[in-house]
Amino acid sequence: MNRALLLCALSSCAIDTLAFKTKAERRNLDCQRLSDVEAAARYPGQVPPPPAKELAGGVGDVLACSTRYLETGERPNRDEAILSSLSTQVTELADSAGAMAPQTTRWHVDAFYPSLPVAQKIAVAARTTLAQRGFIVSDRVPTLAAGDVAFLVTLPQSEVYRIACARSFVTEVLGPDEALLGLMIVDPKETQLHGGVCLRGEWRWLP
Amino acid sequence: MRAALLFSLVSTVAFAEEVDLNAKQVELLRAEVASDVQLQAAELIDELVYGWTKESPFDVDTGVVLAGVSVPVSLGTGLEAYLENHVAGLVVKNPKTHVQFVHCPACSAWVVHSGAKGTVVTRGYDDPEALAQAGISSGAKHALFLDFEAEGASLVLRARITTLEPSLRIVSARTLSTATSTPAMLRDGAKLTSVAEARKEYLDALGGRGLFLVPVRVGIRNYASGTQSTTNATPFLWVSAGFEAAFTQARAWTASLNAAFSWLPQSHVAVMAQGRISRLLTGSATSLTWPDLYAFVGAGVLFGQGRGMLIFRTSQNPTIDEILNTSTNNEPRSTLGILTIGAELRVKNRISLIAFLETLPALENEDNIGTYVTIPLINLRFQSFGVEVSFCF
Repeated sequence: MNRALLLCALSSCAIDTLAFKTKAERRNLDCQRLSDVEAAARYPGQVPPPPAKELAGGVGDVLACSTRYLETGERPNRDEAILSSLSTQVTELADSAGAMAPQTTRWHVDAFYPSLPVAQKIAVAARTTLAQRGFIVSDRVPTLAAGDVAFLVTLPQSEVYRIACARSFVTEVLGPDEALLGLMIVDPKETQLHGGVCLRGEWRWLP
Repeated sequence: MRAALLFSLVSTVAFAEEVDLNAKQVELLRAEVASDVQLQAAELIDELVYGWTKESPFDVDTGVVLAGVSVPVSLGTGLEAYLENHVAGLVVKNPKTHVQFVHCPACSAWVVHSGAKGTVVTRGYDDPEALAQAGISSGAKHALFLDFEAEGASLVLRARITTLEPSLRIVSARTLSTATSTPAMLRDGAKLTSVAEARKEYLDALGGRGLFLVPVRVGIRNYASGTQSTTNATPFLWVSAGFEAAFTQARAWTASLNAAFSWLPQSHVAVMAQGRISRLLTGSATSLTWPDLYAFVGAGVLFGQGRGMLIFRTSQNPTIDEILNTSTNNEPRSTLGILTIGAELRVKNRISLIAFLETLPALENEDNIGTYVTIPLINLRFQSFGVEVSFCF
């Protein structure tokens, strides 16, 4: 089913298709404004080709709205906010991380998020992004010994990553040519992912 | 006490029913979402495998374990099974990918491995050393992971192939995305084409509808009873064929010219030429999936001969002698101008249902023919109502 809804800002459309949508249905729309030239190319048969004078000047525009795959309320709000912007957030963090280590570094990625399925999605997105950038990436997640983990959980959040990083390097869980990209939320209420890189025992937060 | 117990029981049952209904609605919603997602997810897999046919991750045929397919958070395992089957079917049909799936149940099973460093519980593909030591590895050296996630109106596929060695190095990674606004290309698995090629086929299909159509119509026109006349006009059955042209592929505006023929034994023989201009009301372009509604105006001229045309004579009411007159040499003839307004409900430019009103200006002040509808401001009388079924070729 094609879920595109097109609103022609000019006089092309006789009926506003959004007029038949309830407020709840409208909240589930993701909309973007396109030039009518681009809209005609992207939605052939639905948006008519613009007149020649508009091809030259490009004055018309079209609002293209798509229904979200999962409606509001289907997933917990924080998960939905993170997952809806997953590509954008992870790409920014992975690009920043990639600039902090030599190209020959082998990258490991782990995500720290209350929901395990969402954490896996975050980690997979970061691994795939780094691998596509040409970095050496491993699917293996470095793990500390059980005694180290038992100690780390007693520390305040601000110290955990720094000490875990140092411990990973000392115990050779991470070698000198290996780096760990950690992605996490720091405050339980936030929907912004943060990142840090553990390289040669030193933990650095990503800007 | 008993009342309180009864109230408590009733409220508990009602609450349980409400919870049950909510659960059913959620399940229905998820089933609906999954039915939409599956086409887009299959589309992404099509594109992934097509990419492998053009640039394979391997130089020679290589055994690969389909280690995991994960679907968007909150969707179920039924979708995973469907996608596993789809990717497996595509790879089998496209040997140019050099990917050969290998059956390895132990790879996705939980494995417990005890060694000098301790006991590790993990999935098989996360600990290939343990699989090798246990002798239950399939011999495959690579594992494929497919991860789908719904990001707003976009569905994103992240595919990666890792080596089944201690380093678990990712040797191939791709991210592909589609959106709810993009129709699935529904490519043929045995003959995968690129998105550009599939899109060209789609555009050709749209363009293949052509700017010109030949509509063949069968219809009936009925005329209102006159106020003074003792006889009524018989309904006219018409068969017509013509030519319809659209200004653009969108078919928002169309124009048609039709020639029609009507014959009723002992009554009349009539021909008519009519032109119409139509405007699409339901959107800016015709739909491939939904009926389209047009409004139209038209004009035409009708010529008829026979006793059935007596009623259209403008001078006087038909007499009994005229009605009973069987001489073909003296049959009444009428030539009438017609103005038409109407609506047409058309499905895929193939079949349509048309309803219209017609005014015959020459009979504007005559009482032989009555009026169905009058437009008050301009005192325009519509004396005829008709319906048609149209087939377009």
